Amino acid sequence: MYIINKSQVLDIARELQKEHQVYGPVMEKETRQVMFVAVDDIAELDLSAPIPAVPPKHAVFPHFERIMSYTYDRRNKKVEIKPDYDEKPKALFGLRSCDLTGIQCLDRFYLGQEFVDEVYRNHRKKMFIVTNTCNAPFRQCFCVCTDSGPSAHEGYDLNLTDLGDQYLVEAGSEQGKKMAERLSLSKADDSHRKRKEAIVDKSVSMFDSIAKDNKAWISRVVNRVTTGLIEEKVWEYIGDQCIECGACAFVCPSCSCFNIVDPVTGIDSADRMRTWDSCSYEGYSRMAGGHNPRKPVEDRRNKRFFCKLSYSQSKKYLRPGCVGCGRCAWVCPGDIGLPNVVTYIRREIQE
Amino acid sequence: MNYKSGICTFCGTGCGHLLDVRGNAVCGVFPLQNHPVSKGRLCVRGWNVHELLNTPEKITTPLIRKNGALAEASYDEAVSYLVDNLTKYKKNSSDEIGFLASPRSSNEENYLLMKLARSVVNTNNISLDSDPGHRLSLDVMHRGTGMAGMLGSLEEIAKADFLLVVGIDITKQNPIIGSEIHMAARAGAKLVVIDTRNTQIAKLSSRFLQIRPGAYRIAMAYLAKVLVNENLADTDFIKKYTDGYDGFASSLASLKEGDVAAKTGIALGPLQEVARDLAGSNAAMVFFSSGISGFDRDTISYIYNLFVLAGKIGREGCGVNPLTGINNLQGSYDMGIAPDLLTGFQPLSDAAVQDKFNREWGVKLNSGPGKSVYELMTGGNRLKALVVVDHDESIIRNVDEISAMDFVAYIGAFQNNFMNYAHVVLPIAAYVETDGTYTNTERRVQLSKKKVEPPKDILPGWKLIADIAFRAGAKWNYGSPADVMNEIATLTPNYSGISHEKLQGTFGIKWPGGAPRFSLEGTRRKVSFVPTGTNFAVPVASEEYPILLSIGESQHYWHQNNLMKKTAIPLREYNATLLLYPQGYVAISPQNARELNVRDRFPVKVVSPYGSMEAMVQVTDKVKPNTAYVAYFVHEMVTRFFLEHKDVLKRGEDATIPVRIVKV
Amino acid sequence: MSEINNTTIPEIATIEEIKDEIVEVKTFYFSFDGRTDGKPFTFKSGQFVMCTVFGAGEFAVSLPPSPEKDRFHLTVRKVGKVTSALHELKTGDKVGIRGPFGNGFPFDDIKGKNVIYVAGGIGLIPLRSSIMHVMQNKDKFGRILLFLGARTPQELMYQYNLNEWKAAPGFETHITVDNPVPGWDGETGFVHTLLKKADIPVKDTVAFVCGPPVMFNAVIKELTDLGFGEDCIISTLERHMKCGIGKCQHCSIGRTLVCTDGPVYTYRQIKTLGEQI
Repeated sequence: MYIINKSQVLDIARELQKEHQVYGPVMEKETRQVMFVAVDDIAELDLSAPIPAVPPKHAVFPHFERIMSYTYDRRNKKVEIKPDYDEKPKALFGLRSCDLTGIQCLDRFYLGQEFVDEVYRNHRKKMFIVTNTCNAPFRQCFCVCTDSGPSAHEGYDLNLTDLGDQYLVEAGSEQGKKMAERLSLSKADDSHRKRKEAIVDKSVSMFDSIAKDNKAWISRVVNRVTTGLIEEKVWEYIGDQCIECGACAFVCPSCSCFNIVDPVTGIDSADRMRTWDSCSYEGYSRMAGGHNPRKPVEDRRNKRFFCKLSYSQSKKYLRPGCVGCGRCAWVCPGDIGLPNVVTYIRREIQE
Repeated sequence: MNYKSGICTFCGTGCGHLLDVRGNAVCGVFPLQNHPVSKGRLCVRGWNVHELLNTPEKITTPLIRKNGALAEASYDEAVSYLVDNLTKYKKNSSDEIGFLASPRSSNEENYLLMKLARSVVNTNNISLDSDPGHRLSLDVMHRGTGMAGMLGSLEEIAKADFLLVVGIDITKQNPIIGSEIHMAARAGAKLVVIDTRNTQIAKLSSRFLQIRPGAYRIAMAYLAKVLVNENLADTDFIKKYTDGYDGFASSLASLKEGDVAAKTGIALGPLQEVARDLAGSNAAMVFFSSGISGFDRDTISYIYNLFVLAGKIGREGCGVNPLTGINNLQGSYDMGIAPDLLTGFQPLSDAAVQDKFNREWGVKLNSGPGKSVYELMTGGNRLKALVVVDHDESIIRNVDEISAMDFVAYIGAFQNNFMNYAHVVLPIAAYVETDGTYTNTERRVQLSKKKVEPPKDILPGWKLIADIAFRAGAKWNYGSPADVMNEIATLTPNYSGISHEKLQGTFGIKWPGGAPRFSLEGTRRKVSFVPTGTNFAVPVASEEYPILLSIGESQHYWHQNNLMKKTAIPLREYNATLLLYPQGYVAISPQNARELNVRDRFPVKVVSPYGSMEAMVQVTDKVKPNTAYVAYFVHEMVTRFFLEHKDVLKRGEDATIPVRIVKV
Repeated sequence: MSEINNTTIPEIATIEEIKDEIVEVKTFYFSFDGRTDGKPFTFKSGQFVMCTVFGAGEFAVSLPPSPEKDRFHLTVRKVGKVTSALHELKTGDKVGIRGPFGNGFPFDDIKGKNVIYVAGGIGLIPLRSSIMHVMQNKDKFGRILLFLGARTPQELMYQYNLNEWKAAPGFETHITVDNPVPGWDGETGFVHTLLKKADIPVKDTVAFVCGPPVMFNAVIKELTDLGFGEDCIISTLERHMKCGIGKCQHCSIGRTLVCTDGPVYTYRQIKTLGEQI
C-alpha cells in the first residue's frame, strides 16, 4: 500500500503513457457526458467524474473492428490473407470496480474456455489496469447486489481510493508494485487502510433502497432463472416492452456477442469485420434459409437474462454475468433494465 | 476525445449520439445521455449508424452516361454538363424541368437547392415526392394556429396524463418517441391506442381500440361529438382562445351516431370513455403518423379540432403531434421544398414575400405556381429534365416516366437505383463530412458538425450547389453552411435568431424563437377550429372484395430505405422479414387463414378492383378478421400493385383498399 | 485447450472437383494449399468446419467421415448469400477453412449396438458421415438400418452411396418420398410413418436422427413410442454460426453452444435445453 498526493495522481497515467495507450474517464465538454476513451492529453482524465456512460469493454472488444483483410485474385487464383490484430499495449486508468469485473468476465469467457479468442488476447495481453474505488454510488448502481463493488478486490495492477487530499494506492500485481516503486510512492500505514475501509462502508450504506433491497433477492432470482421456473407471462411482460434496439448488450460490460461480416473493399479485396451484436435482434439466431428457432421477442429477452443470471452461464464467468453497473437500465427504451427484471421476477415469486 | 457529438439522421426523432471517430473513420456510436429527446437511448438503426458510414457503396467519382453506360468523368466535365442542361431547360422551365429534393438533406442543402431552382433555373417545380402526408398535417396546423409544425413538445410527454396514439406503429417508426410514451404510461398516464393492428404500443396501452381500416375520421368526429353531447368541451378555453366553433359544431351535427359502432367496429361505450378521459385529463397529447400511412386532411382536421375542443393545446404537456418518419422532413418544408411555399411556410403567392426574396436574392422570381415533380410526371404532363438529390422513392413508383426523360441528374453520397436512370451523377459528402442543420419532428433545429474529411475531390452538397449556381451565372457568396443559415434566418421569421454559432454546443433550438411548444397561455393569440367535411363514409367491403387492406410502415420504417441496405446488422434485421417473405407479405387473421385454407408463408393473390399482386400470407392475430395489412416496403409490391392505386394513395384515404385474397 | 491453429485466420484450400448432387446441392472436393503447422488434417465424423468464400463470408458445414490424406469434401446446399457464392465457384478456385470444430459422433459409446439412421432431406449430409464410419467398421456394430425421406425422388441425396449401401450385406434401407412422380415404385409419405411399418430393434439400439424440425419432432415421438430411451437417440443440430469457437454466441441453445458443446446431442440433452430446435 502506498500513498500519493491528489495533485500527483495523474503522474501514474503519465508514466503509463510512455509504453501504453492510456484509456480513462473524460468528460465531453459540450454534452457533459463522461466516456471511457483513449486519451493523449493526460490532463483530460477526470477521476472524480461519474461512472462513464460507455463501459471500457470497447478497449478490448471494439464496437467495429477489422480482424483481417484479404485479397482474392480470381484470374490467377491467388488468395492472400493478412491478420489485423491490435497489439498496442493499453492501460485502463480509473476503471470502476464493476467495469473491472466486466473485463474479468470477458477474460474468462474469451480466454478461459476450450478455445482462446486470438483477437481478444491481442487486445488484452499487455494491459495495465488501474481501478478507482467508488466513494459514492451513482444513480443506477447496484454492484452491492452482484459482488462487484464499490471497491475492487482483485484483478487490478493498482487500485486507487480517494482519501480526500491523497489517494491510497494498492498494488494488486507484480507489475503494479514495480510501477509504484518506479514512481517512488511513499508507503501507506494502517490509518490509511482504515480510512479506506470507512469510505467503502459509507459508500455501501449510500446505495439506493432498490439496490439494498434486491441484495438477497438476486440469488433467488438466479435460482429461478437457472431452473426455468419463471412463468411465461413474466417473460411476455418483459418481451412486450422490448423494442429490439440492442442497447442492453452494447452497454453491458460483460456482453460479448459479436457478428462477423466480410464487406468488399475493392474489386478483389475484402475485410473481415467484427461488430457488436445483440441477442435481442430477430436476425441474431435466424439461419440461412429463414428458420429462426428464437423468433418471438420474449424468447430472446429470456435468453439475455439467462445469460446474465443463470448458474450455467456463471460457470463460464466464475461469477454472475451481471456486474451491477446499471447501464442497461438507463439506455433501455422499455423499462426492462436488469434491476427491473429482477423486480418483476421477484414480484412473481412473492405472488 | 475521439467521441464527437452529433445527431442521428435516420428518423424524425432526432436523437443525440456520440460518434467514435478514429483517424478519418467513424468506428462506433454511443447515445447521448443529456440529450433532451433521446436521453441516452437509440434504436437499432441509431446503434448501427457507423456501418452505414463505412459502406463501400458510396459514389466516389462524377459519372456521365456515354453510349448507355455511366463512365467516370472529371468534376468539371460533369458539372458543366449539368449546368448546360439547366440552361437549356430554363427557357421553358415551368413545364420542362423539375427538382426532386430529399427529406434527408440538411436545411442548408435544401435551401440552396430551392434557391437554385427558383432563382437560377427560374422554376417553382420543386418537391419532395408524391407523398403528401406531412404537408397535410402542416396545412391543418398552420390553418388552425399559424404554426406549420408539431404543436406539442417531445420533452413534455412525461407531463401529459392522457396520451392518444392513432394509427401509428410508433415503436417501429419512431422508437424513441414510442419509448417516451411508454415511460409516461408506466408513470401513470392513460395511454389510449386506436389502430387497425394490435401493435406493440397497443399491447403497452391502458386501452386499445382496434378500428376498422379507413374509419379513423368518423371515430375522431365521434369523440368530439361526445364532448359536445356531454358538455365536456372546454368552453372557457373555446371562448377565450378560439374562433370557428360554430362551423365545427355544425359538422358534428351531421354525424349520425347510429352509424359509428358499425363503421368503426368499436362499441360506443369505450369510445365515450376515451372522450371522457380526454376531457377529464389535465394535459393531453395525440400522436399520429405524417407519412405514407398518414391520414387524409379531414381526419387530421378532426383530430386537431378534437383537441381544441377539449382545450388541450397551447399549454405544457398538451399538443397535436404529427410525427415525421424521415429525419429532415419538417426541415425540408421549412426550407420551402414545395412548389407553392418559400421558407418557413411563407406562401409564394404573397406579393410581400416575393418582394423580400427578390430583394435578398437579387432576382425576379417566377411567380407562376409550380407543380410537384409527381404532378409533372403524371396526368398528361411531359417533364423533360429532372435534378434529383439523395432520393430513392420515386424511382420505384414512377420508373417509366423517369426512364423516358431527356435528362436526369443525380446528386448524392450513396449509390442507389436512381443512378441507373441518370445521365450525370455527382457525388457529395455524407452527413458526417460537412456541417449542416436538421429539424426534427418537434421543430428542433440541431447542428451536426463535420467529423471526418470527405473522400478526395468530393464537395459537400452546399458547395456543389453553390458551384452549379456560380457556373450558371449567379453570384452567390457562401463561405460555409453557417453563412447559408444566416441567410435563411434573415428571410424566415420562424428561423430568425438561429445560427450555427448559437446552435454550437446546444441540443438544438426549436423554432420559433426557442419556444418549447405552441403556447396560448399569457398571449393574446387565438386559434381556429379548421373547416371539416361531413363525409363520414368508410371504405366498404363487398361480396366481391370482402377484405379491407390497409397500408402502413413496416418494421422500423425500412420500406425502400436505401440507407438500411448498406449496413450489416440493420440489413440483417430487414432481411429477417424479406427472407421469410421474399415476395413481401400480406398480414391476415387466423380466421381468414382458416377460411382460405392457407398457413403462414403460403402464396396468395391479392385482387382489387384496380389490379392484383402475388404475395405470401403472414398469419397473425395482430389484424382483425376480414382486414389485412400490407407493409409499404417491398419493391415488387409497390411497382406491381400500388402503382395501380396511385389515386387512392394520393387522396390519402387512410390508404385502404377493399380486396379479395385467393389461394394460388 | 485446443490444438487447432486456424481458429481465427482461415487456411487456404483449393477446389479440386465439384460434383452435382441434387438440385441446389453440390459436393466440393478440396485439398489444402499447405498446412502451415505441418500437421495432417484430421477430424472426427460429426465435426464441422467454417468455410470462407472470399468476398462473400463464412458458413458452417458438416464434415465427411474422415479425410482422404489432406483431401476432404463438403456437401453444401445453396440456401443463403455465402453458400450461393460457393456454388458459383469453379475447380481451381480457393476457399478458406477453419476447423475442425465441434464434438463429433460418440462412436466409442455405441460399440456393439444396432444403429438406426433416420434422415429427412439434406439431413442425410451429416448422417452420411456417421453411416460411412459405421460401414467401415461394420464388425463393431449390430444391425444397421437407414430410413430416408425426401420431398421428391429427385431430392434423394447421394444415390451412388445409397446404391452401394443397399448392396452391402446387413444394411437395410427404407426410402420414402412425400410427392412421388410417375415411375416411383417406392414408399410414399413422411419418413416417420416408415418406422411403424418396419421391424426395428429397440434393445441395444441407437438411433441417429437428422432433418427439419417438423420431421425431427415426428420421428422422436415415433421412436419414444417404440421404447427408445432419450439417451439412445442422437442428433446433430444446426444453428446460425459466426465464429465456430464458442465466442460469438449466435449458436447458443439453452445453456450450451452448438459449436463447442455440439453439434451432436442426445435427445435427453436436447430436451433439457429448453429451446426450440
